[in-house]
Amino acid sequence: MSDTNRRWEFEDEHEFLEKLKELVDQGTPTERLDVITPIPVPATEEILKMKRSPLRFFTLAGALTGLSLGFAFTIFTVMDWPIITGGKPLVSLPPFLIIAFALTILLGSLASFAGFLILGKMPSISKIQNPIEHENMFIIMLEDEAAQ
Amino acid sequence: MSSPRAYFEKLEIDVLAAMGKPSIGYLIALAVSATCFVVGMGLWGYQMLFGMGVAGIRHPVGWGVYITDFVFWVGIAHSGTLISAVLFLFRAKFRSRFNRSAEAMTIFAVMTAGLFPLIHLGRSWFAYWLFPYPNQRELWVNFRSPLVWDVFAVSTYLTVSAVFFFVGLVPDLAVVRGRAEGIRKKIYAAFSLGWIGSAKQWIHYNQLYIFLAALATPLVISVHSVVSWDFAMSIVPGWHTTIFAPYFVAGAIFSGTAMVLTLMIPMRKILKLEDHINIGHFESLAKILLFTSLIVGYAYAVEFALAFYSGHTFEIAHFTYRLLGDYWALYALMVFSNVLLPLALFVKKLRRNIPFLFVLSIFVNIGMWLERFVIIVTSLSKEYDPYSWGTYVPSMVEVGITIGSFGLFFTLFLIFTKVLPVLAITEVKETAL
Repeated sequence: MSDTNRRWEFEDEHEFLEKLKELVDQGTPTERLDVITPIPVPATEEILKMKRSPLRFFTLAGALTGLSLGFAFTIFTVMDWPIITGGKPLVSLPPFLIIAFALTILLGSLASFAGFLILGKMPSISKIQNPIEHENMFIIMLEDEAAQ
Repeated sequence: MSSPRAYFEKLEIDVLAAMGKPSIGYLIALAVSATCFVVGMGLWGYQMLFGMGVAGIRHPVGWGVYITDFVFWVGIAHSGTLISAVLFLFRAKFRSRFNRSAEAMTIFAVMTAGLFPLIHLGRSWFAYWLFPYPNQRELWVNFRSPLVWDVFAVSTYLTVSAVFFFVGLVPDLAVVRGRAEGIRKKIYAAFSLGWIGSAKQWIHYNQLYIFLAALATPLVISVHSVVSWDFAMSIVPGWHTTIFAPYFVAGAIFSGTAMVLTLMIPMRKILKLEDHINIGHFESLAKILLFTSLIVGYAYAVEFALAFYSGHTFEIAHFTYRLLGDYWALYALMVFSNVLLPLALFVKKLRRNIPFLFVLSIFVNIGMWLERFVIIVTSLSKEYDPYSWGTYVPSMVEVGITIGSFGLFFTLFLIFTKVLPVLAITEVKETAL
């Protein structure tokens, strides 16, 4: 392969995928290939043999934190100053579940969003200053080996 | 069909053209909405200055128009999440035409709704008492109270909806960045966080979007259930029933879908988006409207059936009062708007008739507002003890603040149409292929 720092642009998604496949089949290392597309193209993930996003672990961690925090907080507060209201048990799990549920969703969502920013390396100052515009083209970029 | 790129370019130009220089009509609409809002805020100030006596709420009807407005606006929010999250998980393609506006509507409606508990408080500056912190005697809030559940449910809803809305916007902000100039380019570049659409970004993005949709989906059901429990947890006749949660959720989606139609029909025309939102897309919304209207109609019938089947004197007396008592005209208009008129949507020609859909959506908005009013006011005005019966008529301050809330909602929505792309450009591209 003599191509260094090359760039191919396609108007058509299928031609783009064919070229990408051809490059990978020719033995181009996938780390040197990057693609930019105006819409998500799930097939590129397979061709480039990308690993599944670990974002799900952020979601899980956030949701579990929210769930335990919801129960811990409500139970702590009724134990901290025990006062019986409406003749109900101090630790009333059904109403506390509502708080725990809300916090599960809240922290699960916020952690997922944080995970996205961390994994996607955003916000990126350099890309904000000098963004690459796809201009509705499907782009394949082959990075120079020296740039690695 | 021409090449996808030609379509992509046309779509971007059309949607971004909508963000261009505002027309006279737009400026007039903005001025009217903003004036309503300012007058409404002025009336709130007047109420703070002279006390809650200026509102019509007094014993025995302590919850009136303000709580009606709160439930109404939270309800409006719901179809935004339904369209953006639930229909995403169901892979309903028509959602891409409405999700951006519906999500924006959700956020603005929850913001508007959030004002009403504060307005209703009277001494609004003590709103922080609802937050979970120990007071000076180290006593915490009561987590068994539905009002505290509401604080958690509604604030979670607002936060998650805002995150979902922003995430959906990121690739589109990058599109706007690509076509903007000068300082606008810099602002959109900053908010697009450096999005370029590389495979490494998309892989995380797609995963995030699915998770947010999955997390927001239970919120569609939970938030309005919690709002309904503000009523159902008490032992007031007409409120204390187990069907309240599903009944309110269906009503919320029903009213929200109507509001999407009310907003989108003129917006499509004014912003010239006819090429991208067609009658078929509106027909899909009309089907959601019809389906939820049937559920709401069924709930109205079940409420009566349960009351009479129970043989409970107070329940029977309450529902007889609701149907035939002081507020019978409002109840009748509510049934007409929410149950009878939407039945016309069984006719395909009417489902595809845009002016009819617009008029119907207005009726449903009114009908759903009346539903909340009727539920709240009729139950309180004739509770158990005949000695404390009484009727309620809203004062001009309450009416003015309600109009002000519509002013706030429309002001925010109008600003949105000029600042952000009103169609989810990237998702429309995706579904167009």
